[in-house]
Amino acid sequence: MTKLLTVTEMMCRDLARRRAALGLLAILPLLFYLARHDSQPEKAIRFAGLGLAWAVSTAGLFTSNTTKSVESRLRQIGFQIHHLYLGTLTALLALGTLLGAAYFTLIAVDQNLQRPWGVALEFILTILVAAPLGLLISAVAPRDLEGTLILIALTALQFLVDPAQRAAKLLPFWSTREIGIYAVEAGAIEYLRNGLIHAAIFIAALLAATVSLSALRLRRRAHLRLQQTPA
Amino acid sequence: MDVDQTGPEVAARKHAESIHPSGVVRLRATGIHKRFGRRQVLHDVDLTVRAGEIVAVVGANGCGKSTLLKICAGLMSPTEGTVTVNGRLSYCPQQAGLMGFLTAEEHFALFGAGCGLDRETARSRGRELAASLAWDTGMGIQARHLSGGTQQKLNLVLAVLSNPDVLLLDEPYQGFDRGSYVDFWDWLQRSRQAGKAIVVITHMLNSRDQVDGVLDLGDAKADRDS
Repeated sequence: MTKLLTVTEMMCRDLARRRAALGLLAILPLLFYLARHDSQPEKAIRFAGLGLAWAVSTAGLFTSNTTKSVESRLRQIGFQIHHLYLGTLTALLALGTLLGAAYFTLIAVDQNLQRPWGVALEFILTILVAAPLGLLISAVAPRDLEGTLILIALTALQFLVDPAQRAAKLLPFWSTREIGIYAVEAGAIEYLRNGLIHAAIFIAALLAATVSLSALRLRRRAHLRLQQTPA
Repeated sequence: MDVDQTGPEVAARKHAESIHPSGVVRLRATGIHKRFGRRQVLHDVDLTVRAGEIVAVVGANGCGKSTLLKICAGLMSPTEGTVTVNGRLSYCPQQAGLMGFLTAEEHFALFGAGCGLDRETARSRGRELAASLAWDTGMGIQARHLSGGTQQKLNLVLAVLSNPDVLLLDEPYQGFDRGSYVDFWDWLQRSRQAGKAIVVITHMLNSRDQVDGVLDLGDAKADRDS
């Protein structure tokens, strides 16, 4: 437990000191929110959710990319794969929770929400999808530029694809829209159910994929045989 | 493969002052081949290092020195061959594998936790090791703000924080000034006397007389393409 807590603490410290990047990421949901604030306030909340998703995924992508070389050393000196993975993930979730709580408070003050707990749920699930998504993108596209392009493409598709299309369900944040309709536009309970199922599937799939790729990258190589004989 | 004209076992060439000539074998790499695509980088490399020995790995740029150390550290798989390590292993990469936004003290705590040290012990040992490399200030400065040479010292301290039996050093003195370079070799000699098995990549020919064996990987890998 000490190892996991230490990794989590150091990842949080590392993240917290990236003030310029954090500042830019923190205002991203605000810009998305303000873009539709006056014309379509209900949509503005969903946009803020997508901005939150982008911010957390981006933080995950860059944190993972910059700590990979350290992770292989940490693994070698005694950390298990789950210490490193969970430590990074927990730090990202902590960041996402802070951002999500700030934006939830802002929106709750700014708008007359019919189902405020629904908005809170929307943000929580968005963060839970976004954090492992950023780690997964880092695992499959280890260079910053490629990873950023994938993230931009995913976010753009999330805005551009008609949510009624079947293909839209393949996008990671379809659940954000569904739960948003339930929470903000007094949508039927089906929206909530569909959103929950979609989010649960994506969270499980993203966690499984990122854990598998971390385990592959940080595995003990078969050619190495370790012994312990006193000198 | 050329192994300092002594055959496949590097440790066959002993330094006159080696104090553990019959120490236990700590590292044995056997029949290491490594190929990247069609390019053969390492061909049938053997390496044996005993407790209390320093072996230098030399050769031209691109001849596979760092690749060999990564294979020995278990960070990269060979195309063929095995590595047996007896004891705790530690690897110091060529480019500092640090977290730029953490301080040296925080690095000590993080790496120390990995090898089971409590925070205070890790910090205390880290400071002590840093002092042995003539570095005793700036422990609270973020790693990204340290000079290149001091980052390398931190890199080195982290590698030995766990008190390893086998130490793999990939040109750990890059960025060192002359005094630090001398301190580094003095520190290596003390580690050898403490019974460590050490493999160090070096381009410095004048350091060859301070080691117990030399593994010469020869010319660049292009010469061995086939």
